[in-house]
Amino acid sequence: MLPKFTYSRPGSLVQVANLAARPGTRVHAGGTDLLGCLRDGVFGAESLVSLSGLSDLRGVTPTSGGGLRIGALTTIAEIAANDAISDRYPALAQAAASVASPQLRNQGTIGGNLCQKPRCWYYRGDFHCLRKGGDTCYAFDGENQYHCILGGDGCYIVHPSDTAPALAALGARVTAVSAGGRRTIAVEKLHVPPSTDPQRETALEPGEILTEVILPPPPSGLRSSYRKIRERASWDFAVVGVALALVFDGHTVTTANIFLSGAAPVPWRARQAEEVLNGSNLDGATVERAAHAAVADAEPLAHNAYKVPLFAGLIKEQLTTLGGGT
Amino acid sequence: MTRRDSYWAEGPLPETPSPQSSPAPWGTTRVVGTRRPRIDAYERVSGTAVYPSDVVLPGMLYGAILRCPHAHALVKRVDASRAEGMPGVRAVMTGRSKVADLDWPYSRRDHSKLFDPHCRHEGEAVAAVAADTPQQAADALRAIQVDYEVLPFVADERDAVAAGAPKIRDGGNLAGEPEVSERGDVAKGFAEADVVLERSYRCAYEIHAPMECHGCVARWDGNRLTVWESTQGVFRIQATLAGMLHLPLTDVRVIGHYMGGGFGSKLQAGKYTVIASLLARVTARPVKLFLSRQETMLCVGNRPGAEIRLKAGVKKDGTLTAFELSSLTSPGAYEVGAGLLDWLARDLYTCPNVRTESRVAFINAGPARPMRAPGHPQGAWALEQMIDELAEAIQMDPVELRLRNVPKVSQARGGKPYTSTGLARCLEEGAKAFGWSEARKKQQQNGRYRRGVGSAACLWIAGGGGPPSTVIVKLFADGSVNLNMGASDIGTGTKSVMAMVVSEELGVNPDQIRVENADTATTQFATPSGGSKTVPTESPAVRDAAIAVKKQLLALVAEEKGWDPADLELDGQAVVSRTDPQRRLPFAEISRLQRQRVIVGVGYRGPNPEDAVVNPFAAQFCEVEVDTNTGEVRVLRFLGAHDSGRVLNRLTYDNQVFGGITMGIGFGLTEERVLDRRQTGKMLNANLHSYRMPTALDVPADMVSLPIELGDTECNTTGAKGLGEPVTIPTAAAIANAVHDAVGVRVTDTPITPSRLIGLLAVAHKEG
Amino acid sequence: MARDRNRTDKPGKGVTRRGFLGTVGAGAVAAVTGLPRPGEAVPEITEPKGMVETALSINGRMHRLLVEPRWTLLFVLREQMGITGTKIGCARGECGACTVLMDGSPRYACMTLALEAQGHEITTVEGLMDGEELGDVQQAFVEEDAFQCGYCTAGQVVAAQGLLAANPSPTVDEIRAGMAGNLCRCGAYVHIFRAVERAAKGRGKGGGR
Ligand SMILES: Cc1cc2nc3c(=O)[nH]c(=O)nc-3n(C[C@@H](O)[C@@H](O)[C@H](O)COP(=O)(O)OP(=O)(O)OC[C@H]3O[C@@H](n4cnc5c(N)ncnc54)[C@H](O)[C@@H]3O)c2cc1C
Ligand code: FES
Ligand code: FES
Repeated sequence: MLPKFTYSRPGSLVQVANLAARPGTRVHAGGTDLLGCLRDGVFGAESLVSLSGLSDLRGVTPTSGGGLRIGALTTIAEIAANDAISDRYPALAQAAASVASPQLRNQGTIGGNLCQKPRCWYYRGDFHCLRKGGDTCYAFDGENQYHCILGGDGCYIVHPSDTAPALAALGARVTAVSAGGRRTIAVEKLHVPPSTDPQRETALEPGEILTEVILPPPPSGLRSSYRKIRERASWDFAVVGVALALVFDGHTVTTANIFLSGAAPVPWRARQAEEVLNGSNLDGATVERAAHAAVADAEPLAHNAYKVPLFAGLIKEQLTTLGGGT
Repeated sequence: MTRRDSYWAEGPLPETPSPQSSPAPWGTTRVVGTRRPRIDAYERVSGTAVYPSDVVLPGMLYGAILRCPHAHALVKRVDASRAEGMPGVRAVMTGRSKVADLDWPYSRRDHSKLFDPHCRHEGEAVAAVAADTPQQAADALRAIQVDYEVLPFVADERDAVAAGAPKIRDGGNLAGEPEVSERGDVAKGFAEADVVLERSYRCAYEIHAPMECHGCVARWDGNRLTVWESTQGVFRIQATLAGMLHLPLTDVRVIGHYMGGGFGSKLQAGKYTVIASLLARVTARPVKLFLSRQETMLCVGNRPGAEIRLKAGVKKDGTLTAFELSSLTSPGAYEVGAGLLDWLARDLYTCPNVRTESRVAFINAGPARPMRAPGHPQGAWALEQMIDELAEAIQMDPVELRLRNVPKVSQARGGKPYTSTGLARCLEEGAKAFGWSEARKKQQQNGRYRRGVGSAACLWIAGGGGPPSTVIVKLFADGSVNLNMGASDIGTGTKSVMAMVVSEELGVNPDQIRVENADTATTQFATPSGGSKTVPTESPAVRDAAIAVKKQLLALVAEEKGWDPADLELDGQAVVSRTDPQRRLPFAEISRLQRQRVIVGVGYRGPNPEDAVVNPFAAQFCEVEVDTNTGEVRVLRFLGAHDSGRVLNRLTYDNQVFGGITMGIGFGLTEERVLDRRQTGKMLNANLHSYRMPTALDVPADMVSLPIELGDTECNTTGAKGLGEPVTIPTAAAIANAVHDAVGVRVTDTPITPSRLIGLLAVAHKEG
Repeated sequence: MARDRNRTDKPGKGVTRRGFLGTVGAGAVAAVTGLPRPGEAVPEITEPKGMVETALSINGRMHRLLVEPRWTLLFVLREQMGITGTKIGCARGECGACTVLMDGSPRYACMTLALEAQGHEITTVEGLMDGEELGDVQQAFVEEDAFQCGYCTAGQVVAAQGLLAANPSPTVDEIRAGMAGNLCRCGAYVHIFRAVERAAKGRGKGGGR
């Protein structure tokens, strides 16, 4: 059952930002993650400020530079079905299509997807863990089959978002607006690793509202994809997932961006794999090397060593698919 | 045996009189066996069916239960003073409340208190409240302060029997001595074998998780109690409430017209039933108390997981020489039964030498409840994979190996014959319809995706039904019919099937038949719907009642017209002569009927044959595709060939088959209860998101149901055997066999997730 | 990387960064209560604790009600208004039993605050009926026996209705994907697929609503 809170639905962004800056206030976009957290007592809220009065934050429009602007309230379903996105940024369309379930995609927004809380079952359960202000991570010695193999530092969650790795691979940025002004943040820099702060998921400050996602114009020769493996074909978060954005010049990969989901507390940039791929031409040996390089530094916990071969297999598969036809 | 046979009921069952008729089996049928939409389909698709959780009464309050957050703890102090004064709160109840000082029977063998200070699993009831809204009730629960002394816990049966394990029950962690069953001489059997294999299997715990959560609405009128409960059997709820609250049976009315699934977890009352009734009593207001999904995952049942070790011997010609099975499982914290893991090894195939040893250990987890064919899917997971391995070792087709060992008699029951054994035909005709031998002869595959086919067979220990059952059929003057029976329709289509039986006898269109059921005040005693026994139990009684009506009606007409009653039959709302087409008397013209306005027939269920066993049999076949890069398994198609006796409604029959396969896909591929085994013992996936039941994308659209009808005339007067449980027994094993066929890897643990399979594939790759 | 469950240098420790555990004044920000009229910009509304007035359009009718901000659309439908066709299976967006249409597209009423539903057109399973007549999707569910216990059925029917509105002639795989937000523990999926196909075919012939 939801705890008590007050609710407001202002009609302007300034009002939203002012209200959201007040202590004890939470922003409500689609509510699909927020309400679950409130019900499970992951955090409390004295008041909710709804974004749904801000119609400007909805929809996908071209930017002057040839990219796309996606309003923060655009639903995941709208993104999955958007022709411009599927044509030019297939990784994002595929990531959106793989989120949750049809109903949740109709309701959940891209802003909420980027700002959602992790799905660690200790964090979501009644365990006072490090991320909730306690002093221990239960996953470390516990049931950690779905936890991270990279980037864990005191807290071993994986970042839950499917769209974040795709957006990061595509070089997207977000705009954050607060009473104090506006700034842009690269999606790659949006999420906070536990080594910086284990109680915080995004770089947004209280009262900062994510208003839009800006996709840069796709470089010519860009091919991108996102695929996740799950244990059940719907509703499941990624057990492992990979977002690829490769820029080809003929048969040669000039720039490779690889971000993993299900790997680390933040969307994880697989730099070593990118280095293997940059300047290469995706032959079988390179694909194999890149796939293994991506997880070379993995430090699995007691029950998630399977993620290492699973990532390798998935990355191999996706590289082969993207490379097909070169 | 009898206790195990009737897990759906405890205590003495009423005896009913003998049926008045002993009709011959139906020859060709008009209605029975056809595909007919349900008679209550309208209510179910329109939203007008009132499920217990839909009941909203004037002045109704909402109840909620405070539950122990620890796997094992003692309640030291409960301070509910703050909760009592909160807005909307009408009652707070704890273990110290006098009205709530009651014993709670988990089973005949094991009791605790309604609010027991010794909490033996996460989720035990500690206190309860009633408030104007469910939100206020939840606020009040949050305001109750409880001091717990947290005790050492055991969260896994393997830990329970390990040296140095904390002792969690006074009598020790084992629930009694190991149960041993033995026939022949297994050592001799293994010595005779050409191949002996020994394997260990592990099954995860499953949760029933019906879509409607457990709960009820309770209302008092003075000293009379009415309860709307989501249940598989209203009479068992009535008995529990009357017993615990010291009420006459007639003053406890339990209504369960519709219910949103149970699968064995709603065969009995829950603590919540009693708590709701007590809260309603002290507040003098109706109280609705439905558990949250999380509470149901913790408290109201599971299919016990198991460690199963199986050793088997076979000769080159396919003769099975010996089985030796040992198992370890857990019913949770209380002695509620967790058995039958060994039944298939003892009874499914001809094998002279069998020894089984079953151990049951307590753990600090919610009590098990019978779940759709208790013990059998776990047993099949082991046995049916073993059969495949033996077949491979002697280079025989696994279907052929099964066929060579089809039993003629029930060996586990001292050689009693079955009334009918469709196993061979299920295997043969199933394999043919599936295209088994062609599918097995596929090309060597080297690509990323590998396809494989698998099969598995089963029987179900029960499924014969039996007394008691009393049913009333009323034929009205206009030819419409009311059928009154106590049994619940748990989604299996009971009401529709019974209407078809009446229709068959009375010639009335099933759409003109209304069924009144599952209400202790207005219908006849019935045992809970479970054990795949509802159709074989109720349908003969229904047939008997319809025949009783028919006899009376024909007698009326014979007397009125001076016709020979033996020459008369019913057809389309008229009495007609078998021999003289001129003789036809529509109901509207039968003057006695028009004056009488109604003819009432009472029917009873006679006993099953004493010297034979009634069991359903089955074989299932499937094809899967495995992605060798990722370990993802896609089920491409399934076929279920089931001998469940006569098919009464082909549409609901097929639906059961597909539903059982779907649940079996969950058992095989996705479902697993996860407890925090090493740190707290708490359940980590008590929700429908990380406890994964199959979705529309996890089951293939290509499913085929192939009924095998042998015309069993011995089992009962309708020839129907149980179906609801066998349909889910062999499924997971068939999938495991198909995965092995595809990639050469044996997955001995459920569920076959990509995470599990990718690890095994990596190992196989290294070794291969 | 520190491989330890206990971080030694925990910058966040003791700091309630988000401040939500701190004390909160419930003071008002310029409050304009009331509802947006059609065509009017959404005014700022700040609701005090306790009940607030709202208006919900359900199955084509406007209902004015008092609700707590924390009440979900599902709770209001079932327990306040007695419109109980829509079911509850999890209250977490994990089962689909509560599926309703909001402006024609399926979503979970358990994850929708009643106040968030204002200004939108809500359709429940009851809204698919034509008087006492079943809608075409409902009729197809009857004919294909696309349910067992029937508890998930309202959600399934409504999801199918939304699916067919968006895609009038789906392939079987599109049906499976479109229905993947509705659990059926009885496992009636195969019959559900057939029912959706049947409804789509019926509409193709001009039979549907
Ligand atoms: C059963 C289930 C399964 C799911 N499966 C998946 C999955 O497979 N993959 C996946 O990626 N996600 C999944 N999700 C998460 C799902 O909630 C998100 O995908 C959804 O997009 C969140 O959007 P929302 O608008 O509903 O967010 P909300 O719940 O409204 O918000 C989420 C959080 O972000 C904050 N927030 C929202 N918008 C803004 C903004 N514009 N500025 C600042 N802060 C903001 C909120 O305060 C809140 O803390 C699942 C959720 C559920 C319940
Ligand atoms: S009740 Fe809403 S999705 Fe389960
Ligand atoms: S019909 Fe019972 S859950 Fe779907």
